[in-house]
Amino acid sequence: MGMGGSGIIFDEVCHTYRPRRGRPVLALDKISLDVRDREFLALLGPSGCGKSTLLYLLGGFMPIESGSITTHGKPVTGPGPDRGIVFQSFALFPWKTVRQNVLYGLEKQGMPRAEREQRTKELLELVHLSAFADSYPSQLSGGMKQRVAIARTLAVDPGILLMDEPFGALDAQTRALMHEELLAIMQRSPKTVVFVTHDVREAVYLADRVAVMSARPGRIKEIVSTEKPAGAGSEFLQTPEFAEKVEHLWGLVRDEAIRAQDAAH
Amino acid sequence: MARMNPIGRNLLGWVSVVVFLAAWEILARSHVFTEFLLPSFSASFERLVEDTLSGELLRNLGLTLLRAFAGFAMGAVAGVVIGVCMARMPLVRWFFDPIVSIGLPMPKIAFIPVFILWFGVFDESKILMVAFNALFPVVVATMAGAEAVDRVMIWSARSLGASPRRLLFEIAIPAALPEIFTGLQIAMPIALIVAIVSEMAMGGEGLGGALMTQMRFADSRGVFSGILAIGIAGSLVVKAMELIRRRLLVWHQETQSG
Amino acid sequence: MKAAALRYLPLVLLAIVWELAPRLHLVDASALPPLTAVARSWFSLLVDGDILFNGVSSLLNLLYGLIGAIVVGIALGVLMAWYPTFDVFATPLVRISYPMPKSALIPVMILWFGLGAGSKIASVFMGCLLPVILSTYNGARGIEQTMIWSARALGASRWQVLREIVLPGAMPEILAGVRNALALSFILLVAAELLVGQRGMGYLISFLGDGGVYDGMFAAVLTVSAFGFFADRCYLLFMRWMLQWRE
Repeated sequence: MGMGGSGIIFDEVCHTYRPRRGRPVLALDKISLDVRDREFLALLGPSGCGKSTLLYLLGGFMPIESGSITTHGKPVTGPGPDRGIVFQSFALFPWKTVRQNVLYGLEKQGMPRAEREQRTKELLELVHLSAFADSYPSQLSGGMKQRVAIARTLAVDPGILLMDEPFGALDAQTRALMHEELLAIMQRSPKTVVFVTHDVREAVYLADRVAVMSARPGRIKEIVSTEKPAGAGSEFLQTPEFAEKVEHLWGLVRDEAIRAQDAAH
Repeated sequence: MARMNPIGRNLLGWVSVVVFLAAWEILARSHVFTEFLLPSFSASFERLVEDTLSGELLRNLGLTLLRAFAGFAMGAVAGVVIGVCMARMPLVRWFFDPIVSIGLPMPKIAFIPVFILWFGVFDESKILMVAFNALFPVVVATMAGAEAVDRVMIWSARSLGASPRRLLFEIAIPAALPEIFTGLQIAMPIALIVAIVSEMAMGGEGLGGALMTQMRFADSRGVFSGILAIGIAGSLVVKAMELIRRRLLVWHQETQSG
Repeated sequence: MKAAALRYLPLVLLAIVWELAPRLHLVDASALPPLTAVARSWFSLLVDGDILFNGVSSLLNLLYGLIGAIVVGIALGVLMAWYPTFDVFATPLVRISYPMPKSALIPVMILWFGLGAGSKIASVFMGCLLPVILSTYNGARGIEQTMIWSARALGASRWQVLREIVLPGAMPEILAGVRNALALSFILLVAAELLVGQRGMGYLISFLGDGGVYDGMFAAVLTVSAFGFFADRCYLLFMRWMLQWRE
């Protein structure tokens, strides 16, 4: 423990992407970043800037080639239930029912059966899916699927929640509802959240701080505080404060998006 | 998964083939098995070269492939015609539907003695047997393809004034081509399998017949060299089908991706 | 009921044509015995126990070979998909040998295992192995990376991921591959039995054909065909049941 005992510390993390054909590309260039305990941090950037890669490195899904990532003082060496993840593609197990999906992580934790069932029931209530406990994922809408994925991840009660453009595949209305729901859940059981998105409004609305990333190679361009007044709800979206933040961040991202587009040609 | 560049991968792929052949050679020479059970790779390959040079192998292989292709072609043409008609004419559909749904999964190989009874043991019997086996997958694939042709495409062609005939040949069949080709790619290996079995059962020249004769005379080297030959030929045929598919379906999205 | 009758009417028509053509001397009755004669012959084969004896023999050999191929094929396919070193070495071999017409191996199997059940089982096993390996491999490779990562992040070990995520995730492709293998197993078994041996439905067909008992031969051919057809239908039901989580 000792120093840096809380939160997540990225220390000069680099990552090189090696395609099957063609030359290696530097995807992340010396990323250093601290995420405070119970902070909601959004990683904002154009597509291809390596923000998801950074998240996968933190998840322990890919080997860290240089630099280091520590969570609560411990270096990341592989995936673990202390870091839950929610993907844009939901990544539900389609052959398991909603209930079995949520149960899966609890089984891996070795939780006793009765307790497991009880916890699953609570979580399905939390995401308003009790009526669909015995449905298969293929029978659910996109928003419902993502709520199952969130419930499955929250079930094992990870201290850190990683979200990889979790609402990117949903339509605008569903996304707005999911934002409300996520904020409500976070209020009930606060967690450290690292949230990857390319949606400026989403980042400003949900996060406490937004780290803007540059186009490839990914660097942290600027970190902007987006702290909201305590208890602010969706009416915050109408305030001039919100508009101002969005404007500012959009200015930062816009240049990078243009650069990313040019680089693609 | 391991990161490895494609050249290294291909190289290792060949290494694995070499290792396999070396293992065969060592196993055969170690006298764990008799020469009768497992002739060495080098001896089989020598025999392959010998028979190729004497022309015997090429003649047998050529005959087998010819029968397979002839039967395949008959089955394919009939299959596409029946499939398209089934997709577009309710009466044809009604008639063939139960026949196809029973005929497809049925082990048609059992009909070899029936074909011998009806057509004898020569080329026509073998070719018809191949055609009979190749037919069903093509019918099913063609029908599925011709049915699934995008309605919007048909409507827009109609509104552009296409006649039903032109609609068929210029829209429906080309649009169903990817599926038809999938059916053909299923039918081709079947054609080869059935051609060889027919030759084995009916005798005469051809690779299947030769394999059975060599087996009866305990000529293991001959059997193994024959298998090497048909293995190589089979690979080439399958590869050729893939290439033709890519050529023919340049417009199709599957060719672009991957 | 009426719809079903209409649907299967073409088969009834075919049966009527089969019955009438030889009776009206449109075709030679020795080339195509009337359907009723075939049916009568089928009953006597059944009563004599010929169909039961040879049918059970065929069925057992088919099952031994097929089940062996499924077990070994799934294991190898998963290993190839999961362990890169295994993948690099085994996959090229599988890809090279896959297009080989499987029936060419029958003579080798006879050389190795003799004229009895051994060569039949081995022919079925060898013929069905590659399709099962390849479909398992493709299925296991096709699983979304994020699904595997999710399981790992929920605390599953690599071995648990393999058993609980990769295997069920590859199941649709595995089941489709096994269906192909089932069709192939009939082809190879009947072919091997037609060629050599003293029992099995293939043997019965060639025995009756060689003896000129054509109505019996047709009865046996139809039995094998019905067998293959119903095996496929039953498998299809099983497959639907296994994959009911889809759609």
